Amino acid sequence: MKLEDFGMDTITLAGPIEAKLCAVRDAGFTQIMLSARDLVGHPDGESAAVEAVRRSGLRVTGLQVLRDFEGLSGQLHAYKVDVAKAMLRLAHEVGAPLILACSSTSAHADGDFDAQVADLRKLAMLGVPLGIRVAYEALSWGRRVDDLTDAWALVNAANVANLGLGIDSFHMLARETPLEALDAINPAKIFFVQLSDFMWSAPSTPQERLETARHSRVFPGEGAHSEPLGDLIRGLDNLGYARDYSFEVFNDDYIQMPPARVAERARRSVQWITDHVSRRSLPVRRSVAT
Amino acid sequence: MDQEQLPAPSNPLGMQGVEFIEYTTREPLALGALLQQLGFRPIARHRSREVMLYRQGGMNIIVDAHPESVREVSRGSAPAIAAVAFRVRDAALAHRRALELGAWDMPTRAAAMELLIPGVHGVGDSLIYFVDRHDELSIYDVDFVYLEGVDRAPPALAGLHWFGLVQAVQSDRIDAWIDFYRTLFGFEPLRRGQYFGVLPKGTLLRSPDGGFYFQLVEPPAGADFVEWNEALLRVGLGTADVLGAVRALEARGLVFVDREPVRPSEKGALTQIYLGGFCVELVVSSVAGSA
Repeated sequence: MKLEDFGMDTITLAGPIEAKLCAVRDAGFTQIMLSARDLVGHPDGESAAVEAVRRSGLRVTGLQVLRDFEGLSGQLHAYKVDVAKAMLRLAHEVGAPLILACSSTSAHADGDFDAQVADLRKLAMLGVPLGIRVAYEALSWGRRVDDLTDAWALVNAANVANLGLGIDSFHMLARETPLEALDAINPAKIFFVQLSDFMWSAPSTPQERLETARHSRVFPGEGAHSEPLGDLIRGLDNLGYARDYSFEVFNDDYIQMPPARVAERARRSVQWITDHVSRRSLPVRRSVAT
Repeated sequence: MDQEQLPAPSNPLGMQGVEFIEYTTREPLALGALLQQLGFRPIARHRSREVMLYRQGGMNIIVDAHPESVREVSRGSAPAIAAVAFRVRDAALAHRRALELGAWDMPTRAAAMELLIPGVHGVGDSLIYFVDRHDELSIYDVDFVYLEGVDRAPPALAGLHWFGLVQAVQSDRIDAWIDFYRTLFGFEPLRRGQYFGVLPKGTLLRSPDGGFYFQLVEPPAGADFVEWNEALLRVGLGTADVLGAVRALEARGLVFVDREPVRPSEKGALTQIYLGGFCVELVVSSVAGSA
């Protein structure tokens, strides 16, 4: 693995998009995972934000996040389709090759398996003419789908090229999902991996998971689950996963720190991964206990 | 009253070939002249826009030079394939079904036809229309005025009929486009290695009625610096006698590429490139698909 395999998420950093892009690039990263909010919240409009991204020279990993899409019906479904279209258009504009859609938390979402599959197929189909893939991710507090295995069941059943999985290490660590869950997954269908850790043991309720996820994540190497996180990255690497990794670190402290300092921590995290976990296309190197 | 005919599962839209293919161009006279060399005849003129209808046998081509259309579709000066219209059993139903399955509704732009023909987004800036009035009342009767004394049913030269469209796709996007045409329109990919014509590459998809093909073509290997936008590249015309058709078209002044690997043969032929990007492929085909 090398630095080019990793990127940062704008959600980790404080400030306007220009400052975030600058900090990420100056830390040596070459890619950025954008939050739609960062683009549309630009004081000069989203086209100015798109221009800033283009100017930065950073490759866009993807755009996040489409919430609560699957399982709705009637008016709610039509509304969400409109929201999805707006996000796909924005992704197209900013040159994002994928959007991240996370499992529904809506009380109005139907748990019917086939209905959810049909909705995800539809979302994937909407992405085809625009050239944008859809990565579907299980939130660990999702209402119907809350772990990797369930998310994979939907993606697998949908069976369309434009739909794959997004894997977020946080949700696997928070749910204590066994690494073996990866064995059932077709590695080619893993479109995107987000990495983060947190500093205490796995939260026991969905509400606690949500709170931790939204406020207290840290970079890999900084948290309490270095070993399982390392195993996960190694497992993905061994499966042949060769697409992007991005640091999805929501942290209330980091958005009170200068972006350059936070980006340095992200850079150290890459170092931690390459030193302690594995190297792509080289034999796995185990850490030596000291 | 006919009994309700439920579409067979293999042809969910009751598709029956292609009603028309639409080009946009800044040079409608030059394109019109070229189409006439190909055997098409000018048939009708749009009532209010710079749009012409050309026809031979079962093929209709609409040439749209309306400034707004040209601006939206043609990036360069070459004619661009802006739309294909599928004949279906019930256009409104086909449209609704496509939207339910994840198609984008056609934009509210000035389309060539003022008659409300439902359509969805295809590749690039192109549209896919659904037409169900193809028997008695023609869709052209609403928007077009027929040229005086014109034969409205000119025969096809050398039995030419629609064969298909060639579409450029980005690397690794073949499967996504197969899903698109299969899910929304019922096309099915042919088994790997099954080709027609002189350019055996990419992936072929056959329409549910068997009369029309999409050929999806990825950028050539090692062509990192070639500009390769996803778009409809050219039409393929079918004929039972390719070499006979080549002779007939050459006699009308068309030039075919005469070098390997696309030298005219019984299998197919390729015209040279005209107007900065327009060419036509001939493909051996005994089935007069949509004719």
